[in-house]
Amino acid sequence: MGTKGATRLVSFFVFNSNYGPREGEEHKKILFYYPKEEDLDNKIKNIGLCEAIVKFAETFSDKPCQSMHTQKMRHLFLEPEKDFWAVMTVSIPFIEKQKEGQPYTEYQEEDVQDPVYEALLRQAYRMFQVCTSPVYEAILRQAYRLFQLFNGTFCHILAKTNNNVDVLKQRLDHFYSRYLQTLRVHQSDIIDIFSGIHFMPLDKNTYLRVQCFINLLEARFPYIKYTAFMYNDQLVWSGLEQDDMRIMYKYLTTSLFPSYQEQELQGTSSVSPARTTTAQAIHYGKFVTGPPDINDENTLGKIPRVFINSEVENEECFLLVYRAHNASVCMLINVANTMTFDLCRKLDGFLGPQLTQLASDIGEQYSKRVTTSGDPPYRYIYFNHMNLAQKTTVHTDNKKSSGIHIPPDTLRLLTDISADMSKSSEDGETIVKTFSDNWVVGKKSDQREFYVVINQKNANLIEINGNNYNIRMN
Amino acid sequence: MADSKEAEQVSTSESEQSDLIEPETCIHRENSMLLPAENFISIDYESFENYDCQPSGVIHEIVRSNSQDKSEETPDVVLSSSNDEFSAGEDKEERKQISAKELASALTEEDIEEDETRKPEWRAQKKHIFILSEAGKPIYSRHGSEDKLVTIMGVLQALVSFVHDSNKDNIRCIIAGDHKFVFYVRDPLILVCVSQGADSTQQLLLQLTYVYNQVLSVLTHKTLVSIFKQRRNYDLRRLLSGSEKFLDSLLSLIETDYSFLLGAVRCLPLDLQVRDMISQSIIQHARVKDLVFALILANNQLVTLVRMKKYYLHPVDLHLIINLVHASESFKAAESWTPICLPKFDSSGYLQAHISYLDESCQTCLLLLTVDRESFFTLSDCKNKIKERLLKYNGLNAIGDSLTKTSYSINQCGITDLRHFLYKSRSTAQYTSPEVEAPYLGTEEQERLFGLYQYLHHRIHTSARPLKILYHVGPHETLLGWITQGFELYAVFGPLVTKPSAIHSINKLLKWIKREEDRLFILNSVTF
Repeated sequence: MGTKGATRLVSFFVFNSNYGPREGEEHKKILFYYPKEEDLDNKIKNIGLCEAIVKFAETFSDKPCQSMHTQKMRHLFLEPEKDFWAVMTVSIPFIEKQKEGQPYTEYQEEDVQDPVYEALLRQAYRMFQVCTSPVYEAILRQAYRLFQLFNGTFCHILAKTNNNVDVLKQRLDHFYSRYLQTLRVHQSDIIDIFSGIHFMPLDKNTYLRVQCFINLLEARFPYIKYTAFMYNDQLVWSGLEQDDMRIMYKYLTTSLFPSYQEQELQGTSSVSPARTTTAQAIHYGKFVTGPPDINDENTLGKIPRVFINSEVENEECFLLVYRAHNASVCMLINVANTMTFDLCRKLDGFLGPQLTQLASDIGEQYSKRVTTSGDPPYRYIYFNHMNLAQKTTVHTDNKKSSGIHIPPDTLRLLTDISADMSKSSEDGETIVKTFSDNWVVGKKSDQREFYVVINQKNANLIEINGNNYNIRMN
Repeated sequence: MADSKEAEQVSTSESEQSDLIEPETCIHRENSMLLPAENFISIDYESFENYDCQPSGVIHEIVRSNSQDKSEETPDVVLSSSNDEFSAGEDKEERKQISAKELASALTEEDIEEDETRKPEWRAQKKHIFILSEAGKPIYSRHGSEDKLVTIMGVLQALVSFVHDSNKDNIRCIIAGDHKFVFYVRDPLILVCVSQGADSTQQLLLQLTYVYNQVLSVLTHKTLVSIFKQRRNYDLRRLLSGSEKFLDSLLSLIETDYSFLLGAVRCLPLDLQVRDMISQSIIQHARVKDLVFALILANNQLVTLVRMKKYYLHPVDLHLIINLVHASESFKAAESWTPICLPKFDSSGYLQAHISYLDESCQTCLLLLTVDRESFFTLSDCKNKIKERLLKYNGLNAIGDSLTKTSYSINQCGITDLRHFLYKSRSTAQYTSPEVEAPYLGTEEQERLFGLYQYLHHRIHTSARPLKILYHVGPHETLLGWITQGFELYAVFGPLVTKPSAIHSINKLLKWIKREEDRLFILNSVTF
């Protein structure tokens, strides 16, 4: 009854107190502030409050301030680099109720869980660090030419631009004003904390074929430094370091692929996809980033640059993505190499037929497996800290776009249990029965976390046993 | 009114008087309508969310119903007349709008100032409690002297009012690493806790409400509000001086005694017949007009409670009474006559408490709580008669015996694997638990055990996601929490116990408790 208010992003800002130490110069501290329309006084005031909180917490604690809870808001704090603070504010969901004829607002404070939003904030920073955009690149190319290759961190950008704060501000603005729009604050949950990768299980033969294909690719085009192979939103093979792959995976699945698919659907660039029907066999290969039309030499398209730390810190690479059917190959090429149209054409010639064949074979295997049988008596979430593998049947799909199969409160309970377990480095198991008579089993062992939600109202504690749910992890 | 002189004489002759403030302002009669019955909080603790309501007028009701003739008004509280400390300017001072700038500068000033906060031992304290007025005047700090904490109190006040003024919002807590900063703003006071322990923020908030209620029990809500209404800058320490020890004692009890965590009271195990005999002694000899509650405490445990029909003692109030007795050595020296406000019973006035020890070793304490300020001698007489009867029927010996047995050992329950448990009977708000034994004998281990229970209690009672059962296997022990309509059970097993055997033990334990119920709990309430 009554109106409801969901969690939403209220503000997001980045500041550094050292930039405006004097009175009247407070605005200089602000490096980025969302929403932009916010009145400058309010911006200054809110940053002032955050500075005060951070300093006050230091009076007692050696660890930095993480969050502030108020009745209506939740502030999350992150100091990703010394003296640079990123603060995110989300609203507390509420319900307007009537009590004895008087309207009042009930704030559901416990629905907003710190670990989830801390994870979002960390991710927001990491994304910024990794991604730069082609558009932006064009604007600032001149500035960059003067310096060496710039780096992803705030400090490195500053270091490379002779402490030009404006450059940093522009970059922040460019990245975050778009990134924040993709942030689905109210849908965040335990999956955002894990921020894992969905792996694609394949039979041995097919897997070896993929590996062969990658080896062949890298041998033939030696300037390809790293390669990753994806099918739909699942990772099949990756030559990147885990942490790089994690953020790259996030970028590909939540940003690049969806926007590409949208484009495809709109059919704006529908020059009936680069279907080359020359001497070669028909293939469905196409660049996701790179030349939009392989027959049109005039445009090289947009090729994003990313920063990765797999071999050396802050290595800048072009990210070239090629796709056929549902299979995508992501190729990272050091920016020291120049991208030419000729190179892309050669790649297309090699990738197109091979990938088309591989994709349809995988697709065959994939469609065989996707035969879910009715409503299972339990749902689970699995995460492996060692290889970041993640699996969920709690969410309707891996992107958690369409919904969840368990009550939201139960999903939040998983975060509670996970947070409890993360306090101790040792293994443990927790079994709980909720008020709605759902059973939840949480288990942490050997770097793996595993949660099962069992909808079996009349089960008793003895019958509920995490080990009984031998879920094939493939 | 005419013979209030006598009461004064009595109170000055009592050693405890210095601890409590303004005994002559005990009971305020006002013309307000009596509160409806549901406002008296029953002994059921479940409705903790109602802690915000401040009942008042109960005392007045009792007084009026018992003595129709005394219904004339007494003048309002007169504050201590020594207002020399105040300049008129201070009073008129407008509520300051704090700018972010000032906030930040307040923090930098702090660095310059030679103050307590820079001492590592002060900073390392596990739990700080601060009380300040809404104007930012220091009232109490658990560690260090408030005088040296003026700046930090100022910052606390600034944070509270900045958040309030700029967004019409209320600050609740701040998290930084292991530290939790919890704010509890209860007009006209601001209470803040800074903890690095295992307590959850809700548990810390509960502790702050206890601290707040402790302040009320000394001053009454009515006095507190009217003082600050008259002078926003009033230095409340002048009224609270001498009662800091109650706050200190309360805070250390909260950290060691499970009563506060559970919202329940622990009863001294006694055979049903013995307890009945003790209650009967009170009923027979203390049937005095205006006597609201009569109770016997032994080593922070309840022996018996006799109440006026219609009125209940809330566990929170009982905890304050237990703390009063626990913190005062002086009651052991002589019979005392002391005013106490029980905030859940009536936050606007005082009850008068007659406090005396019945035995030589000063373990068994009798409290008679009345609304009649002039009944010291009547009650003293009652006390002698009760004592006589208890001696005659060996009641005191029975209490003494039970005390020397120091509760009971877990072995008595006859359950292997079980290391410790807490069992709360929800309908009576009472709990029982065995002695703490190995491996929890060291102070550090006891704190850890306390932390385990705090974790269990917190996870089960998270208000948005309450649980019925929680079974947790950790590296050092296996924990089980179980909530039903009738009881809450928290049990600690060794780490290697299997689930079926833990469940078997729990069933056995429940049977044992059922068998011992008469001894461990007070099941029927006794009224005058």
